[in-house]
Amino acid sequence: MLGPVPPPVTPPIPPAIELHGLRHAYRDGVEVLHGIDLTIERGEIFGFLGHNGAGKTTAMNVLTTLLVPTGGSARVAGYDAVTERDEVTRRIGYLPADVRLYGHLTAAENLEFFARLSGLRHPRAAVTETLDYLDAGDLADRRLSSFSTGMRQRIGIAQAVLHRPEVLFLDEPTAGLDPLGVRQLRRTILSLNADLGMTVFMNTHQLSEVAKVCTTIGVLNHGDLIYQDSIEATTRRFPDEASLEDIYVRMDAVPT
Amino acid sequence: MIATVARQQFVALRRQQIFLAVLAILLAMTSLAGFLGWMSHHTVVQAYDEAVRILAAQGQPAPPDPLGLKPPLSLLSNLAVYIPLIGALLAIVVGHLSLADEQAEGIGRVIFTRPVSRTTFLFGKVVAVAAVLAAILAASLVTSVASLVMVNGSVPSAAELGRLGLFYGLSWLYLLLFALIGMVTVLATRRRSLGLLAALGVWMVLTFAVPQFTSGLRPTASLNPVTDPVSTSQPFFGATAHARSFSVSEQYKQAAAQILETGTAEPWSDTGRRVLPLLGALVGVGLLTGGLARRHDFSTGPSGD
Repeated sequence: MLGPVPPPVTPPIPPAIELHGLRHAYRDGVEVLHGIDLTIERGEIFGFLGHNGAGKTTAMNVLTTLLVPTGGSARVAGYDAVTERDEVTRRIGYLPADVRLYGHLTAAENLEFFARLSGLRHPRAAVTETLDYLDAGDLADRRLSSFSTGMRQRIGIAQAVLHRPEVLFLDEPTAGLDPLGVRQLRRTILSLNADLGMTVFMNTHQLSEVAKVCTTIGVLNHGDLIYQDSIEATTRRFPDEASLEDIYVRMDAVPT
Repeated sequence: MIATVARQQFVALRRQQIFLAVLAILLAMTSLAGFLGWMSHHTVVQAYDEAVRILAAQGQPAPPDPLGLKPPLSLLSNLAVYIPLIGALLAIVVGHLSLADEQAEGIGRVIFTRPVSRTTFLFGKVVAVAAVLAAILAASLVTSVASLVMVNGSVPSAAELGRLGLFYGLSWLYLLLFALIGMVTVLATRRRSLGLLAALGVWMVLTFAVPQFTSGLRPTASLNPVTDPVSTSQPFFGATAHARSFSVSEQYKQAAAQILETGTAEPWSDTGRRVLPLLGALVGVGLLTGGLARRHDFSTGPSGD
């Protein structure tokens, strides 16, 4: 006699990001990442902290498939960033620091181009929907060359989320923004995370923003990941520190 | 995907002032070639009519019409000069602009985080550049035909149109080479201005320096009646004379002169051989462009300029 039907086995959803022993050295032989192990679960807003030259952007370049690491592995949404590049690029959005799109094209033309590159079936509808979502519909028909930094940033975010990626990478997203722009960006990140369930991976120096937006943080120091935990656990762990900045300075000062 | 990249390139080029400026110059020069041909034709006709009138008054027979001996397309002989000059410059600008934003402005960082391969992307760019050059030359062709109709008072024959088509086809290949040079130098240099300067340097070498070395370097040429064979009998000058067979710009001009019937007649097989250096250069520069695009580091940000 057959026993009760076992519940269907659903494969575990892989983490948003998994780094195992990730290393990278540039052609001059200088190693900027010394074997990073890092796991970021889905739905997190991860703040990647570190001084200039710590290797944050290099790590992001590997995760966004722009760089092939010299050692270790990087997986995004369950796919290898080197051997399964197409699968990864279908699932990520990327906003680089100092975003510059095509200045001779309008915002809508730029976005339509990126929508088509992403293989969207209805690129124009996706552009309109995304601009409306970001409350940037008024920018659609203006050329990017006439935009302020804040406007460019909004269109940059639109291009990054047009195709509703599972993981959104933001490299120094608040650089050059005025306080109003920073606040708008914070609202956007939080709503993308809450409404669409996007995992956000953010390189930043703005510690105040990290405290307001991120759910977990990691600290990179000279190519080594010296800390990773949730914001809540971090503030519990360092109760004497007055602010996240003090915590960061204390962690960054730890000799490696 | 290739169509997406090509379409983006069409729209962007249409709005680049430098492209529009050089395009206007090329079309103006094409019109000028026709105008100069018409002026020359008009002057000769006037002189011939006057000579006929004077000779008739003296009761002497009129000589044959000199224009009747010249092929109709020879009116456009200046095109074979303008296209390697202004046309090649325009092609360099088109090639340069096609990749400058992706490289110097850092847009490549965003593009290559999308599911598009570098080969596909580059192929889309080359398709766009080739189509833009074809459209430009088509406009020039229409201008040329209009000039011929004005000067000759009749539509060119099918054979003449065929020769014109052949000339513009050859010119398209020639311009494509310079567009690829414009793309290569963008990929090979980090700064936008340096890429354009490097391409202009290559253009100057191919258009001016190499011909000076191969055809112009004849130290005894000005000592009449000493002829070429004496100078080329020396090994060095013999080598420079042989190098002329590989000079892309000179072979283009020679082939163009054959097609437009403005040069010394030669078999078509010889004219065909003149195109080989151009085809070889196209393949070589094309492979170099592909290799550089595959290896280029697009992960860095804007490089200035």
